[in-house]
Amino acid sequence: MEEKQISPEESIKLIQSMIGKARQRYTDNSIFLLLWGWIVLIASLSHYYLAVHTDFEQPYIVWSLTFVGVIASMIIGAKKGKQKIVSNYTDKLYGWLWLSLGIAMFTVIFNGNLVNWNTTPFILLFAGVGTALSGVMMNFKPLKFGAICFWVLAMIAFRQDENTQMLLLAIGIALGYLLPGYIMKANSKKHGV
Amino acid sequence: MGFNPLDPLLHSQLRLAIMSLLISVESADFVYIKEQTSSTAGNLSVQIDKLSTAGYIEVTKQFVGKKPKTTCKITAVGVSAFEQYVKTIQQYLKA
Repeated sequence: MEEKQISPEESIKLIQSMIGKARQRYTDNSIFLLLWGWIVLIASLSHYYLAVHTDFEQPYIVWSLTFVGVIASMIIGAKKGKQKIVSNYTDKLYGWLWLSLGIAMFTVIFNGNLVNWNTTPFILLFAGVGTALSGVMMNFKPLKFGAICFWVLAMIAFRQDENTQMLLLAIGIALGYLLPGYIMKANSKKHGV
Repeated sequence: MGFNPLDPLLHSQLRLAIMSLLISVESADFVYIKEQTSSTAGNLSVQIDKLSTAGYIEVTKQFVGKKPKTTCKITAVGVSAFEQYVKTIQQYLKA
């Protein structure tokens, strides 16, 4: 692009085209969906198996796996931040949304004994909010579909015992995180990211 | 009614392209701007300096490992200059 004088018409066209280019950038955040999808799927199914089919007294211990998720997310996030050549507002909002929801989920789990360990329906509700808003910000339908699954499962989970809730959580995470995560990964390959 | 004069700093192809990109994002790397505007590093560097001297953009230079990284961000002065430029252009187009 040369440094030359332009007509008003050319100016407007140039502004529109540059704003369009800045918007077009496809953000692939599938790694976080897949990471947390697998962690929660493994933990919830293991919790269910240990609680229902064995005499193991502390099935919730499998949730320590989430610490690995937190550390891995921080490392991946820092690495992505360093490699990033453009910082847009959607990415920033996305990061803050999930951080806020993470804090909300932690608060519910930390105070689990006060709600008789009926924490899963709340986790499903929060996950639904995160996937719905992420879906809208990225204009990505599979995440919006995932949000509906989370909310329907939350409705059911409120009426089930703690162990059955684990199965509902596993279904929710498979439909709300893993399925959209794999679709997003496939799409980003198509976009050449 | 006479036209307001167009801001000469913005009424140039490459500088306007840089400002249009920066108004859409929070901040952008020199490499990204170079890619999107299809400009040469030398020319882009000169135009970025001009916009920075006018206070339209803020330039941060740092090292990531051993590589230098230049990040540009539009300032409040830059945003109002850009908005004023668009308003003036619209007057020209309506005439």
